[in-house]
Amino acid sequence: MTQIDINSTELQKILYHVEKPGRYVGGEHNQVTKDWDSVETHVALVFPDIYDLGVPNLGLAILYDILNKRPDVLAERAFAPWVDMEAQLREKHIPLFSLETKRPLGEFDIVGFTLPYESIYTNVLNILDLSGIPARSRERGTRDPLVIAGGQACFNPEPMANFIDAFVIGEGEEVILEVVAAHQAWRATGAGRDELLRSLSQIEGVYVPALYCIEYNQDGTIKLVNPIDESVPSRVTKRIMPVLPPPITDFIVPNVEIVHDRIAIEIMRGCTRGCRFCHAGMVNRPVRERSSQEITDAIAKGLASTGYEQVGLLSLSSSDHTRILELTQAVYERFHDTRVAVSLPSLRIASFSVDLMEQLQDLKPSGGFTFAPEAATERLRAVINKPLDEDVFYETVRKVFEHGWLSLKLYFMIGLPTETMEDVEAILEVGRKVQQIGKQVKGNRIRVHLGVGTFIPKPHTPFQWHPVDSMDTIQEKLDFLKAGTRKLGIKLSYNIPSSTMLEAWLSRGDKRLGEVIHSAWQNGAKFDAWNERFDERAWLTAFETQSLSPNFYAFRQKSEDEVLPWDHIGIGVTKSFLLRDLHWSQEGKTRPDCRTRCFYCGILDNFEDIRPSVEEAYWGCPE
Amino acid sequence: MGVPGMNNTPQRLRVLFSKDGNLRFIGHLDLQRLFERALRRSGLPMRYSQGFNPKVRLNLACALPLGFSSDCELMDFWLEGQSDLDSVNQKLTQALPKELRVLGVEEVPNNLPSLQSSTLSCEYEIRFPSQYSGEELETHLQSLLQQEHLVVARKKKSVDIRELLQDWGWEKRPEGTVLRLVLNATPEATGRPDEWITLMGIDFAECSIHRSRLILSSPTVKEGKND
Repeated sequence: MTQIDINSTELQKILYHVEKPGRYVGGEHNQVTKDWDSVETHVALVFPDIYDLGVPNLGLAILYDILNKRPDVLAERAFAPWVDMEAQLREKHIPLFSLETKRPLGEFDIVGFTLPYESIYTNVLNILDLSGIPARSRERGTRDPLVIAGGQACFNPEPMANFIDAFVIGEGEEVILEVVAAHQAWRATGAGRDELLRSLSQIEGVYVPALYCIEYNQDGTIKLVNPIDESVPSRVTKRIMPVLPPPITDFIVPNVEIVHDRIAIEIMRGCTRGCRFCHAGMVNRPVRERSSQEITDAIAKGLASTGYEQVGLLSLSSSDHTRILELTQAVYERFHDTRVAVSLPSLRIASFSVDLMEQLQDLKPSGGFTFAPEAATERLRAVINKPLDEDVFYETVRKVFEHGWLSLKLYFMIGLPTETMEDVEAILEVGRKVQQIGKQVKGNRIRVHLGVGTFIPKPHTPFQWHPVDSMDTIQEKLDFLKAGTRKLGIKLSYNIPSSTMLEAWLSRGDKRLGEVIHSAWQNGAKFDAWNERFDERAWLTAFETQSLSPNFYAFRQKSEDEVLPWDHIGIGVTKSFLLRDLHWSQEGKTRPDCRTRCFYCGILDNFEDIRPSVEEAYWGCPE
Repeated sequence: MGVPGMNNTPQRLRVLFSKDGNLRFIGHLDLQRLFERALRRSGLPMRYSQGFNPKVRLNLACALPLGFSSDCELMDFWLEGQSDLDSVNQKLTQALPKELRVLGVEEVPNNLPSLQSSTLSCEYEIRFPSQYSGEELETHLQSLLQQEHLVVARKKKSVDIRELLQDWGWEKRPEGTVLRLVLNATPEATGRPDEWITLMGIDFAECSIHRSRLILSSPTVKEGKND
């Protein structure tokens, strides 16, 4: 198989008959196309959902930039074809191909998937199948590509461990080149595939699941996880960038409409707040910031390079950037006459956040304000370690309306540990009060929107031992909120409980879940993240086929000394810290922002030797 | 770039461009957004629309259906102040993906009617799959041309597409013989070459369809291919 001709009658015929054919043809501004034969290593970067969702993925864009800067490497993109395109490809026996040079994925040396969330796992299997690459790592031969994966879901790699040859744990900027180097060295020796996997396992932050054995207890829990021999590390700790590299600016500008169609600049990585439910807050430590000079320079370069009219300044908690005020001022001064909109999401509930948005003046995007109190009672907020003073909250809400915003969205979670119906009733009460304040200030034009997510205790968080709230209770809570918001005239959005369960199984699963994912895919599961496509039956049947119980993964209270499926993956934060924090939670004790004092989570112990000097870069950890 | 006064008369420019390869599969609205961004990154002193949500001011002549190639597309846009045409051409060329090629730029009077309202008709060249012989194609076409009315159903109404055909002929091109159709292209009545191909009993997705000329009511130097 060689290059697929985009001008061929066969492909043209297909493209005429699919929705948004622009998804499949590439040719965008800032796309990098290299001569296939001029480079040694060919990497396909794959987002396992459609183009429209995948293009804005910052992680892949960064890797695309890094890899293509290397003269001996090319990186090309591929996405999941939508169902209409998939049907055409299968019918005509055309393998899935990259956008740049239209090569089948099977011809690349390395195929790298980003796994930002779990509900795209079946799409990975589907893409491998469409590419003619064997699904399971052990079925692949020397001529098949090396299949790697990275991204936020990979902190628990086990459910996908049968299908991925090597996982990159943590930040990929440096390690991706080490993987390429190992591949090049291996190829030069002409050794077998096992040798490649072994050499990859020697790279810090790379987890090669084939090199580990797992023993289970009678009750289905894990007895032990052991490397197959002494040369394989018993534990893989994530990689971090001690100093954030300059942000990328040559974003690919899509030709068709996508979500988040904008320049995305990460202003900081990590968060010091320590919310106990928050996976991102635990796995992305330590906090590292970019300077306002570096950020504004990147915006300027990005605008010149792309012509975009929107900029998103991304972080887990924007208002916590130590120079955020300086940053918004600088952004305003430098860009107020460029007719761009600058969004600053993830703002804390504080009057200060409204000031920040005000500072952007005419750069601020149209639309509403969003806050995430997560829980509606003081007690429950202490449990999850997201304390919030009610007076401050309502003052901030008032200020939002007083400054002219007409719509306010509030995020809450249901199913949090220790939650009672009182806590759920309080969500409605908050909604009602906010609506009342809005009406006092701006009259009936204001809109209040409640977004309610169902809490899933995630790996590597202090709540990892907790079960998921029962389906009946979740449904009862949702029904209550639906009825209440209807009465108040408040908009409510929420997740469908069955798709919440999928996220629970997959995020908390062990290696045995791999075959469940495979069976589910065989039963037709794909695009599970799309509510209208999610097929619960396909999954339940798959669990039955594999003689596993979905409830084991979702509803079981784990004991504190249990070996967890992800224990051999290190996020830098220790299990003992997470356990201590769980105990604090049980006592209703909050833990202050760890910028003020160190609580020895493990980050500094793990990464002390690479911590830069204060002059070089800011870390959120105390000195 | 200076800060041009908003009340000055802008420079109205008309660009002739081609669209082929991958970019054939980018629709009209997407193309419009693509040009907005290309103009923004060109660094040219764009004239923006007034109002709460200022937008780059531009105007495409006539939507090119998805999948068709063209070397006669026209777009008007407006700049603040006076720019040199060669430098506009160069900056725009650099800012565009290579499958959208600038073939010419000229200045047009501000009081000229819009491109949309002055487009009268379009010429298309259709290359058929090789399995159809010339005679076969001619027979299919003649059987259609002999009819007084050819009514096809469109989304909302039925249209007599025979009335929309202005001219036709077989033309020799280096890559083979093509069918040339000139079809009405006013907002009220726009002809589509794919409808003719379908009526000839051929799958238009197997043909290559190229737009070769736009015919305007107020012709300008860059009209069509006399570049």
